[in-house]
Amino acid sequence: MQGFTATSTPDLAELQSTMRAIEHACTSIQMHLNPGASEAVILSLGQSSQPYKTCQFILENSLVATARFQAAAAIREAAIREWGCLSADDKRGLISFCLCYVMQHASSPDGFVQAKVSSVAAQLMKRGWLEFAPAEKDALFYQVNQAILGNHGIDVQFAGIKFLESLVSEFSPSTSSAMGLPREFHEQCRRSLEQDNLKTFYRWTQEAALSVTNRIIESDSVVPEVKVCTAALDLMLQILNWDFHSNTSDTKINVNVFSAGVRQDGDSPKRSECHLVQPGSDWRDVLLLNSHVGWLLSLYAALRLKFSCEGYWLDCPIAVSARKLVVQFCSLVGAVFLSDDGKMHEQHLMQLLSGMIEWVDPPDVVSKAIENGKSDSEMLDGCRALLAIANVTTPYAFDRLLKSMRPIGTLTFLSILMSEVIKVLMTSNTEEETWSWEARDVLLDTWTAILTPINTINVNALLPSEGIQAAANLFGFIVECELRLASATAFNDEGDSDHLHASVSAMDERLSCYALIARASIDVTIPLLTRVFSERVARLDQGRDIIDLTETLEELYSLLLIIGHVIADEGEGEIPLVPNTIQTQFVVNDVEADKHPVIFLSSSIIKFAEQCLSPEMRASVFSPRLMESIIWFLARWSRTYLMSSDGIGEKIIDSGHHHEHSSKKALLCFFGEHNQGKLVLDIILRICLTTLASYPGEKDLQGLTCFQLLHSLVEQKHICVHLVTLNSWHELATAFSTEKGLLLLDTAHQRSLAQTLVRSASGIRNSEVSSQYVRNLMGPITSYIVEISSKNNFKSIAQQPDIILSVSCLLERLRGAASASEPRTQKAIYELGFSVMNPILVLLEVYKHESAVVYLLLKFVVDWVDGQITYLEAQETAAVVSFCMRLLQLYSSHNIGKISLSLSSSLLSEAKTDKYRDLRALLQLLSSLCSKDMIDFSSDSIEAQGTNISQVVYFGLHMITPLISMDLLKYPKLCHDYFSLLSHMLEVYPETFAQLNSDAFAHILGTLDFGLHHQDADVVSKCLRALQALASYHYKESGNGNIGLGAHTVALKDSNGNVQEGLLSRFLRSLLKLLLFEDYSLDLISVAADALLPLILCEQSLYQRLGNELIERQANSTLRSRLANALHNLTSANQLSSSLDRINYQRFRKNLNSFLVEVRGFLRTM
Amino acid sequence: MSDEEHHFESKADAGASKTYPQQAGTIRKNGYIVIKNRPCKVVEVSTSKTGKHGHAKCHFVGIDIFTGKKLEDIVPSSHNCDVPHVNRTDYQLIDISEDGFVSLLTESGGTKDDLRLPTDENLLSQLVLISIWVKQIKDGFAEGKDLVVSVMSSMGEEQICALKDIGPK
Repeated sequence: MQGFTATSTPDLAELQSTMRAIEHACTSIQMHLNPGASEAVILSLGQSSQPYKTCQFILENSLVATARFQAAAAIREAAIREWGCLSADDKRGLISFCLCYVMQHASSPDGFVQAKVSSVAAQLMKRGWLEFAPAEKDALFYQVNQAILGNHGIDVQFAGIKFLESLVSEFSPSTSSAMGLPREFHEQCRRSLEQDNLKTFYRWTQEAALSVTNRIIESDSVVPEVKVCTAALDLMLQILNWDFHSNTSDTKINVNVFSAGVRQDGDSPKRSECHLVQPGSDWRDVLLLNSHVGWLLSLYAALRLKFSCEGYWLDCPIAVSARKLVVQFCSLVGAVFLSDDGKMHEQHLMQLLSGMIEWVDPPDVVSKAIENGKSDSEMLDGCRALLAIANVTTPYAFDRLLKSMRPIGTLTFLSILMSEVIKVLMTSNTEEETWSWEARDVLLDTWTAILTPINTINVNALLPSEGIQAAANLFGFIVECELRLASATAFNDEGDSDHLHASVSAMDERLSCYALIARASIDVTIPLLTRVFSERVARLDQGRDIIDLTETLEELYSLLLIIGHVIADEGEGEIPLVPNTIQTQFVVNDVEADKHPVIFLSSSIIKFAEQCLSPEMRASVFSPRLMESIIWFLARWSRTYLMSSDGIGEKIIDSGHHHEHSSKKALLCFFGEHNQGKLVLDIILRICLTTLASYPGEKDLQGLTCFQLLHSLVEQKHICVHLVTLNSWHELATAFSTEKGLLLLDTAHQRSLAQTLVRSASGIRNSEVSSQYVRNLMGPITSYIVEISSKNNFKSIAQQPDIILSVSCLLERLRGAASASEPRTQKAIYELGFSVMNPILVLLEVYKHESAVVYLLLKFVVDWVDGQITYLEAQETAAVVSFCMRLLQLYSSHNIGKISLSLSSSLLSEAKTDKYRDLRALLQLLSSLCSKDMIDFSSDSIEAQGTNISQVVYFGLHMITPLISMDLLKYPKLCHDYFSLLSHMLEVYPETFAQLNSDAFAHILGTLDFGLHHQDADVVSKCLRALQALASYHYKESGNGNIGLGAHTVALKDSNGNVQEGLLSRFLRSLLKLLLFEDYSLDLISVAADALLPLILCEQSLYQRLGNELIERQANSTLRSRLANALHNLTSANQLSSSLDRINYQRFRKNLNSFLVEVRGFLRTM
Repeated sequence: MSDEEHHFESKADAGASKTYPQQAGTIRKNGYIVIKNRPCKVVEVSTSKTGKHGHAKCHFVGIDIFTGKKLEDIVPSSHNCDVPHVNRTDYQLIDISEDGFVSLLTESGGTKDDLRLPTDENLLSQLVLISIWVKQIKDGFAEGKDLVVSVMSSMGEEQICALKDIGPK
């Protein structure tokens, strides 16, 4: 189907036939008749040139609603595309047509058509926003204002509000529609609307809402005005959701964080989720001074009384919108309030709280009503309002708010409310998300918002004493409930989802929140936790071998998680400090340090854990799951408390805050190196040995031991120093290198263990001794590999499962050791890898069909080279490089031209995945080799040994690219790695590229072409950068009289007599085509400009020819001259010169941007 | 539990044992396992516990390396499983007949004629796939390419598992 012809004044018959065609297409699409063809008919309407008359005719005359909808869509599409060619009158005409249409048909039943036309009007208005004069805008808005005032009836009023709603959402960056324009355009529109119109819109909306309020309140049944009022409330909410920019800077100056009772800080991670409304001082009259909030609250109060009437209920749209707006008002903050020490703000919040407190108070009555079938939405919105208030006030101010209307403070109320919610949650105890679930999360966020500063501020300064008491009560109740829940679910068999890892990370957020609450009243909660813990331990002692202890075990499991969170922080990679409240809240004297509540609690947990060393206790009490929580606890606890007194403790004494930190000092000294530290460390290590050796097959437990506990001990230098002096550590090392028992661990755990053991060498002060330690540790492993690979009958026994198992384990260990390389142990690790170079090649040959082993081999080499390459001297580099090349050659000879056969499609796809992983590893290997040219710590240049890294890497690429099929490039990571390496190579070593033979060259160009059309913008931009590098290299070289890329740029005749274009011409052509006619992300334009400029400079004559072709193809004469102009400007505007410097690149980027804005629209018209 | 029954020392005679015992916890994805007396490649391993405070068990999903059928098994982590001895041998391809039987050159210079390309007449889609293989092989063979056939053997069965072109004759 050709596009609809568009003569300037189509006659009636023509209009009607087009309308019928569109109507027919719309109805048949709905009945699924020939959808492809129908869709083409509809699309062609929008793609044809100037279809406006036709569309308007359809909108006004068609009886088919979907056809009207499509006509509106077509107006939008065509107008956005042709905007540059339309006259000013046409533009205004289109907008005002849409607006009038919406108003005139406001009472029409097909709402979706009106909504569409309304949004088209909004989008066109935005498109022309920056070019219309103020008077023109005012004229358009006059119409809207008249509608909103209600002069033309309820329906028109509604339509007017809805239009503003779509306008505001169009101007808000997150909800705006794409228009093919640069980001700056959207930003300018946003700023302009915020400055000039937003407040006016809000006032109009207010007036509209006020005008219908009385009718609603007076009538006992639903009246049409409700619709208007709901729309108005929604629009107000939307405007308050606006991301105000212009005023945010002055709010910071006006508000004094501490005295004002209103805070502006952003130290809680949760804070970002809570939207603060900061419209600035000029909004004061609209939002605060005209009793707007009072109106809103009384409207909702009136609605509440009507919930029993027909047509109203708790979740009817107007009630929902009103509640949302109330919550939004709670978030109001900043310069909109007078700077009067927060009095005005406090008044505002008090007013809101008095309006919404009934939604949640009294908690037990409300929750009972919900359990009996009342809707939960008031309760949840009430919780959200509390959260919003907590986010904008200090705890003291927060607590005060309720006191004017209730005998208790807000914090106490919050504690009671949350206890009620938790109670309901515990009794229902279902998997599905209930209201209590959500309410608990919102309230926990509220507590977090209030208590987060506890990590830096003394708790007494932060909270009133009633608040501390409220927190203590709440935490006591939480512990009680968690324990009850634990014992109730102890026998649930939840299968594999229930191991510690998942449950900790799922619970982690909740537990850290509980921990904040606990820390608010730490002097009560620590003794509480200690008491509960000892009770449970005593219960175990009494019941051992007599009764089933599962419930108690599960309780201890939960308790350990809770205690771990309360007394220590996670640290997220840093060394966590002792939590602030624990540092400051306890007063102890040094003599009785062991009576310090936290020390006492920690010691009793460690004493309990130590009992797992006895086999009888292990069998009867220490289940794998309980051990998991113990290991987790020890890992977390030791990061904060173990041996960290060095330096830190002494500094504190010096600094004079002696009293304040005495609690911390006592804590750290007690577990410090001169006190109990070594003893505790030894116990921890023995517990680790036990979990590794005596819990066969418990992967989760052993994973925690390896990855969390041991790993974190070695990470901390001050612990590591003592670690290596302990016998238990050497027992572990010996067990690892010589005994068979640890070969039964999961291979990933063995790798981690090897890494940890090698890393601990950093704790040995003498560097010779630490190298010797590594040699002793890994020696038996390398000699096993050397020995077995040189056996005469190795080929025949290699396939035996037991041999495969031990080879895999040992390779994993080598890999672990290789990845732990540090400057001090580097030599030892190099020797280790060097001694197995030949065996590795033997293994690769023997296990060529055993993909799992091949992968391990490759990964070991990758990690080893990665850790070593920057340190290697020239000779060593030469050896490593030649080894890598032999490895690549061998791998390639095994795999090239290989086809796997299997009856199982899943085994075939596994084989493909194996290949993918191997290739990724090889690409990583090449990238590591590449880095030698960037970072090199060796004493002499590697060129001395005749090693040229770029040649080596190109050679490697040449060897593995044939193995990378287009199918494999569909794996995003592989694709990403490949193109990263490729673009890096082309950028850094274009001269080596020029010397490649034609096969290798053609292959690389082929993949570049493929990458240019990839859907991932990242890949495309890498290819563009590579192109830029090539073209600019050639341009600069040939400017200096050199050959540059030489013969590759000249057109050739291939063996079949077809002319092959030179590479630069070929890419100039495809890049232009991409930019003008294809879809791509706008972010790519500047990278594309950087590639296009040198290409044009290299191939000027071809560029001229392509430009002329484009111009000649254009039939319309106005468009033709525009195109010619634009092309001219592209290469001459902004004083573009023919040099390739930074300024010139920047100019060209600008030129290309405006060129594309100018011509892309009509070039893509059918 | 004890590891007494583990054979860590490999036996002198390589072909003597068809399977080896190995602790279930050490068997990983991509390894092999015997399920219901069939040699399988492990495509999925997950662990769970028998009750919250019980011991770990492994859940294996394996694919029969000869028939392609999916099999599953659950074994306590600390118990032993049988792991099949899977061997692969490369032969040079001498000839291929119309019915899919191949003639292979053994290392000792003899021929081996008892294998055919893997087929499963029940599955039409696989028939199509196989006919593509046969065509590839025959084309390659006709072009005078030197082809190597890998034969996988385990627990008394054999099957062709891969094909590789090692350049012109």
